[in-house]
Amino acid sequence: MSLNEKFRTITKVKNLGLLTTIVLIIIGMAIFFPRFLSPINIEILGMGFVQEAIMALGMTLIIISAGIDLSIAGVMPFSAIMVGIFLNNNFGITVSILLALLLSALVGFVNAQMINRLKVHPFICTLATLTTLRGVNLVITKGETVTGFPPAFYFFGQGRVFGIPFPIFLFAVMAIAFTYLLKNHKYFQQVYFIGGNINSARYSGINIDRFIIFIYVLNSILAGIAGIITASQYISANTGFGIGIELRVITVVIIGGVSLSGGKGNIGGTILGILFLAIINNTFVQTGAPTYWQEVVYGSMLLIAVFLEEYIGAKREGTGVLKRWREFML
Amino acid sequence: MINDKAKNSSQLIMNSSSGHLSRLKEILDTREIGLLLIIFVASILLSIFSENFLTFSNLTSVAIGMNYDVLLALGMTLVLLSKGIDLSVGSILGLTGIITTMLLQAGVSILFAVILGLLSGTFLGFINGIFIAKFRINPFIVTLGMMAIARGLSVILTSGYFVSNLPEGYLIIGQGKFLGIPNPTYVMILFVILFDYLLRKWGPFYKAFYIGTNPDAAELSGINVSSIILAGYVISGFLSGLAAIFMTSRLAMGYAQFGLGAELKAICAAIIGGASMGGGEGSIVGAFLGVMLLAIINNGFVLLNLSIYWQGVINGLILVIAVTVDAIRRARKGKSRV
Amino acid sequence: MINYILKIEGISKRFFTNKVLDDINLKIKKGEVHAVVGENGAGKTTLMKIIGGIYTSSEGKIIFDGCKVNFSSPQEAINSGISIVHQELSLVPKLKVAQNIFSHREPVNRLGFIKWAELRYKAKQILKHIGVDIDPSTLVGDLSVGMQQIVEIAKALSQNAKIIIFDEPTSALSEKEVNLFYQVINDLKSKGVTIIFISHKLTEVFKISDKMSVLRDGKLIGTRKTKETSIEEIIKMMVGRELGNLYPDKSSHIGEKIFSVKGFSRKAKFEGIEFDLYKGEILGFAGLVGSGRTEVARSIFGAEKPESGEVILEGKKVEIKSPRDAIKNGICYLTEDRRNWGLFLEKTLRQNIIAASINKFVNKRGFLKNREIKEKAKHFIDYLNIKPADDKILILNLSGGNQQKTLLAQWLNAEPKILIADEPTRGVDVGAKAEIHKHLRKLVESGVGVIIISSELPEIIGLCDRIAVFNEGKITGILEKDATQEEIMKYATL
Ligand SMILES: Nc1ncnc2c1ncn2[C@@H]1O[C@H](COP(=O)(O)OP(=O)(O)OP(=O)(O)O)[C@@H](O)[C@H]1O
Ligand SMILES: [Mg+2]
Repeated sequence: MSLNEKFRTITKVKNLGLLTTIVLIIIGMAIFFPRFLSPINIEILGMGFVQEAIMALGMTLIIISAGIDLSIAGVMPFSAIMVGIFLNNNFGITVSILLALLLSALVGFVNAQMINRLKVHPFICTLATLTTLRGVNLVITKGETVTGFPPAFYFFGQGRVFGIPFPIFLFAVMAIAFTYLLKNHKYFQQVYFIGGNINSARYSGINIDRFIIFIYVLNSILAGIAGIITASQYISANTGFGIGIELRVITVVIIGGVSLSGGKGNIGGTILGILFLAIINNTFVQTGAPTYWQEVVYGSMLLIAVFLEEYIGAKREGTGVLKRWREFML
Repeated sequence: MINDKAKNSSQLIMNSSSGHLSRLKEILDTREIGLLLIIFVASILLSIFSENFLTFSNLTSVAIGMNYDVLLALGMTLVLLSKGIDLSVGSILGLTGIITTMLLQAGVSILFAVILGLLSGTFLGFINGIFIAKFRINPFIVTLGMMAIARGLSVILTSGYFVSNLPEGYLIIGQGKFLGIPNPTYVMILFVILFDYLLRKWGPFYKAFYIGTNPDAAELSGINVSSIILAGYVISGFLSGLAAIFMTSRLAMGYAQFGLGAELKAICAAIIGGASMGGGEGSIVGAFLGVMLLAIINNGFVLLNLSIYWQGVINGLILVIAVTVDAIRRARKGKSRV
Repeated sequence: MINYILKIEGISKRFFTNKVLDDINLKIKKGEVHAVVGENGAGKTTLMKIIGGIYTSSEGKIIFDGCKVNFSSPQEAINSGISIVHQELSLVPKLKVAQNIFSHREPVNRLGFIKWAELRYKAKQILKHIGVDIDPSTLVGDLSVGMQQIVEIAKALSQNAKIIIFDEPTSALSEKEVNLFYQVINDLKSKGVTIIFISHKLTEVFKISDKMSVLRDGKLIGTRKTKETSIEEIIKMMVGRELGNLYPDKSSHIGEKIFSVKGFSRKAKFEGIEFDLYKGEILGFAGLVGSGRTEVARSIFGAEKPESGEVILEGKKVEIKSPRDAIKNGICYLTEDRRNWGLFLEKTLRQNIIAASINKFVNKRGFLKNREIKEKAKHFIDYLNIKPADDKILILNLSGGNQQKTLLAQWLNAEPKILIADEPTRGVDVGAKAEIHKHLRKLVESGVGVIIISSELPEIIGLCDRIAVFNEGKITGILEKDATQEEIMKYATL
């Protein structure tokens, strides 16, 4: 095999740009900060990003369907607050959690109904629910922090299963399930038809409206779970939870190779995306660099990773053909 | 019910399809007029419930508050039009403000500082544009990266402190008045009229409608897709810079968190005004009215002493109502996909 | 008692105020091949979409297999045994062939997990049955339009329907695939499947149908047994008058050389392409689907980069790096894929007509000249008889044939020196086709060089003065105007 051919084969690997960047950062960190690869730090690294990670699973489905969901940034604190209120009113842990998740699901249902009925772009529908929910959260809490969680509730954010923190364990289980389902299950596969060519989906007899309801409700429930975990972690809940989290979640999904125009992507890419942001996040914790540098580095890394991905992608496509515009535009 | 009405009204359009009447109907049936109506009703309600609403000083303060958002929403409309998005407008505003005010503090002349400030905003927009139009990378990601970088740099440059002690002359830009109306308001109105006119009538801008609808077909039609997309981000950067200068001179300081969250507001306004996430649609006057609607509602909360907690709820509802009304209007005209 | 599998009674359909179907009554016998013909915009596709549950009718009822049905979704129609091969391809480009064929009907185990091996195997079987060699693991987006059409047919076959509706299934197929398609039809017929077939290629309709119904302006003009009617009668029913020659006279004098292409190559696509174009002639590109004609055209136009080769226009070498350069030099390309690469579906007819020539409709300072634009749009709507004649209608609400005419208007409006037209009459009705041929001939007579890529051999033979035959990325022969179908096929399959 000539060098050139070898290069071609290597570039066939998906997400190579991202993978390279991640590996380089890990190596760099491991050399200068040996603590970086210690079990404790890896746990910190995971826990620092587990909410985003859980939500990114649902968001992957949403974006493959050519949709988007901004409202999760409202659902997450909403569910945290609600679970707190229910617990304070002695509903019991199971009932409180179920009720909070039910309310979260309701938000997803409203989103889906707006998208299906009004035929308005999901960005706008979910932006509207986000703004509304933020308001609702403020109205409910009057801007104050909800406290008074019973100790038994601490498990969801702080407990351990097989020695692994519960949130990470939960994420791992869900990630495996999602990967497998999305790849192989008939029901989940519909998402590629809906995102890839909605007419094709319709003509094939896919019930699009019902599927849209399914994924938006699912996504909201995941955000609700993330909210409950956060509440349990901090033993409190307030409206400040989840500010900007929607952008972080969307970012990890997109740098993982899911295209905003829909029809393309998988959970594996998303997991890499999560890893990428979690590592950058953790780098700052480790290096003790001033936090305001964090954003600059984070932004630059983002640009570098996608740039590499594109550059390698262009090599993969071979010469001559520029990437079609519609493949990456919104 | 809706169906019957739809039939009747389109019948009317058909019947009077010749002459000025149909032209008039067409104009009356636009989103802009609908928005104007909503604004009108909201204003009447507000002036009934609060005698302070229709005072000159209140209206000027609403206008000043709108000023920055309008400039950002203009840029956002252009970018959305060409199937893109610009999440970095708020942080470009922040960074440009810091750069300009720090230059002033360092003793650079006002004219020079303003020019450099505008240039830096334009330059940041240019970087966005290069990544998007030349390297063909997803605009969401690129501008998200820029958003983080610019905001981070603002904080680093100032260590989080205010930049104050700006020269008197600079403050006149934002605080000065002509015939009782603040200077920036004139500039804002000028830009709205100019851009609206250009977008409707000027070839290079008009082509953006084609790009947004089908960029590949636009390329094959000989339209210079990458240059026009690039231009959109450059203009958006420039307008963010301009907004920064108005803001810093009005408030007599630079601060790293200026413009935080402004991007979502700009997107909201652009979309209420008729832009679509799918590209190929948008209206400058519409975006202006979108900002106006949000600003008046804001003002209402202040005047009526309403709990600020409800504002998010109301804003969200407004967004839903605006797009729903429009969805119905479009379906009635057969403009949406069936 | 005759066994009618499908009875359509009094069906009408309105889009807003526009009545598209008007009191259609049609009975279709079990096991027959029933053709539906008519001009562009007559309402054929709309009628089929009503049968298939994609649209609901405004009035009337449908009786299928003895019971009144009222499908509210395609799913119900498919489940009761009605499949459609759509006119506008409806596949997912980013998914594999096998996934597309069995979309939403994948073989699954008890838990709903897809059995991939079985899926691939079944897809392979169906493709083999049709007689094409497509790897079921290729992405549909990587296939040519013709091959995509085959996949679409395979998809309909796999649904084991009682009625299959083919809406212009052969518009993107070349001779060889069309023959395969005939076999598929015969096969289905022998299994007792009922077939509704829409096409603008009347010879084809006569070859395979048992009966034919003619639609005009949303009304059913009549139904005839194929054996008892003639092309002339059908055309008269379709357009309401007799039609003259299908093809204009060929060129009487060939002038000097105006355009040549030398040494065009791109790896794995085409190699050593060379040809000249003379003033006053129409040059045809013939060949099978996938023989590289479209790639060559796109490369000349600057939409793709060739690895080597040069283009000489009027004696001067021109540098073409992008479609923009090409258009500036007067070289225009009319795409074969109007929906993805040609039209702006959500924009109006008027905006589409000026799309490739906006620069011609601005004044010195770049401002649009709206009056001129309006007049020009009106001119082309009349000239090409685009229906409905409303320059503010959105393109996505036009029928397929009228969309194609819009695309033609778009490029005629750019006033090309050299026009490369890729399947210019795809999906266009007979009357309009003859008109378009006449316009192309006029264009040539006014000094424009025209190259036609067409999969329809009769069109190539009827229209072109010389024919370049492509075969696997090479030009294997350049034939004179008296070439026969057999000769062309010989070079095309060498
Ligand atoms: N979704 C729609 N909205 C409004 N009008 C429509 C819509 N779909 C079709 N039409 C109109 O209905 C008429 C019939 O269209 P249809 O697609 O059925 O024609 P067709 O006979 O299939 O023509 P072709 O041979 O060109 O495919 C056309 O005038 C078209 O403009
Ligand atoms: Mg049709």
